[in-house]
Amino acid sequence: MTLRLSDLSRCFQGVLPSIVATSDGSGVPNITYVSQVFLVDDRHVALSCQFFNKTRRNLDENPAACAEVLDPVTLQAYRLRLRFLRSEKSGPLFDAMTLRIDAIASHTGMKGVFRLIAADVFEVVSLSMVSGFLLEAPPPLDNDRIRLEGARTEMRGLQWVSDRINRAPDLESLLADVLESLDEYFHFEHTSVLLFDEMNLRLTTMASRGYGESGIGAEVGLGEGLIGTVARRRRLLRLTSLEADLRYGRAIRREAENETGLLPAEIPLPGLPDAQSVLAIPLTVGDRLIGVIAAEDRDPMHFSEWHEAYLEIIANQIALSLDRMLSRPDEGAEPAVGRAVAEPGRERHVATASTGTARCRHRVTYYCNDDAIFVDDEYLIRNIPARILRKVLNEWLRTGRTEFSNREMRLDASLGLPPVKDNLESRLILLKQRLKEKCPNLRLVSTARGRFGLRADAAIDLIER
Amino acid sequence: MAPLPKEILNGPYCLARVTTTERVYRCLEPGLSVVVGSVDAHNIPSTCRAIAISSADGLATVTVYVPVATSQETIQNVATTKRLAITASNPPDHRTTQLKGTTIEARLARDDEHSFLRSRLDAFVDVLEKFGFPRGLARRFAYWPAFAVTIRVDEIFEQTPGPQAGHRIR
Repeated sequence: MTLRLSDLSRCFQGVLPSIVATSDGSGVPNITYVSQVFLVDDRHVALSCQFFNKTRRNLDENPAACAEVLDPVTLQAYRLRLRFLRSEKSGPLFDAMTLRIDAIASHTGMKGVFRLIAADVFEVVSLSMVSGFLLEAPPPLDNDRIRLEGARTEMRGLQWVSDRINRAPDLESLLADVLESLDEYFHFEHTSVLLFDEMNLRLTTMASRGYGESGIGAEVGLGEGLIGTVARRRRLLRLTSLEADLRYGRAIRREAENETGLLPAEIPLPGLPDAQSVLAIPLTVGDRLIGVIAAEDRDPMHFSEWHEAYLEIIANQIALSLDRMLSRPDEGAEPAVGRAVAEPGRERHVATASTGTARCRHRVTYYCNDDAIFVDDEYLIRNIPARILRKVLNEWLRTGRTEFSNREMRLDASLGLPPVKDNLESRLILLKQRLKEKCPNLRLVSTARGRFGLRADAAIDLIER
Repeated sequence: MAPLPKEILNGPYCLARVTTTERVYRCLEPGLSVVVGSVDAHNIPSTCRAIAISSADGLATVTVYVPVATSQETIQNVATTKRLAITASNPPDHRTTQLKGTTIEARLARDDEHSFLRSRLDAFVDVLEKFGFPRGLARRFAYWPAFAVTIRVDEIFEQTPGPQAGHRIR
């Protein structure tokens, strides 16, 4: 059987380091480890040039090289005879390779220290299995190619996700439905959606699935860490060997610190503490960033190559729907006024709660200097969502009103919403979710399109400092 | 820095005393991934994964063990050009050292060296197991019979990824 590079796709995921031998003009060999050999096409591979090292200098003198890659599933080795062609310092290949390096560099606090200088492209002159490498022959290669039945399933999955996106009545449902669909059809069990706030150039976690702690409200700056890098570059990132990549990055960090002194601290990974693979997809409409959808898994090979193209289609749909929902005008022209309408079931209405018969009491403190709200001395939320909650609570305590409209929020200049693309709906979702987690006795509920209500099952003391 | 294990300091195959920085001698520790690079008469390089390296004279010379099954090209190359590069890396922290030298002997490993190679393979399998690779899978690496290639060490380089990679230590 003639081997093709595409048959060895698992070997090019960077799960196990590869080795590369070169030789200088006088015939002195050099052998080094590389964290990943990148598959370019069926005749070419690329290596990342991060430092002007001996390998790079040798290639200028002698273009012949030899690489050995390992299959992370079978541990079988394959040998590639290479001929160095060129160094690319821009273009799609460089962009794809630099994204991964930038993300790891940013995560490990080495932005600017650890960077891609060039993508060195090689022609693959020959490819062979290293016979005798294992005592037992490895099982036949399974190329993970999409079989027809699989493709049908995936088409159904696409149809299903697309349908749920289209039917979602509001932003909150849309976010929840998307993550549920990804779990059901692709077994992406640990996922989150972060939305981009153009005002402060940060991404905020708006929905998550498969985590003990939801992490709703967790933020990352544009360009910071894995997700921030994906957002800034507007490019999909798939890391199949996160732990190995981070170890490699930390090794460089340690060496760099020996030379240059302390570097910035690592940025904590979101979600799973022991994630082995990450797939992060930017949500964009044109060049405009809407957010990032991220998935993690403990299996280093969980996200395969075909997921990339497939999920980019889904991401485009999600981005368009999010943009539509975040942009659409509210219904209902006038601020709604409601008073003490009892809710069914166990829920007690504000008016009742405020009379002192509530089962408990919460102290809600708004700190003016920090623009943040704490509930019983525990941080709840800050910035615009904090101002919204302060406004709503003030109104309720002053007038007893419990029904509000998005429009009146938009008309209130004291909230500081931007005049366009104000993301009010996403800010309300964030506030709802944070209340649900940190103060479930106090809730915001959707009552109609563009309207929401305050529901309290406790007496509230609102304090401003 | 952790002290060198007793088997390194006192073992039959390793250095009797430390003559330069401990970092240099890390390349002799168990549990490392060891690879060799050689070159043929036409300056075409070749790779081969090794099982172990040892030195009994403070790294003046080292012996690297490569499986017979996978090293035909390497043996042909060292027979022709005598040039060999050996790189040893500690997978958990990527600390890596490269030795370059000239071949002074290439022979079949002796029976009394078998247990050393076996122990080095086991130590490497232990490391792989910590990264999630099942022992049964990792123990399938061919390691015996092996060639023992001894080189006179001409140069030693720091090879840990980072700005110091390629820096000559000795």
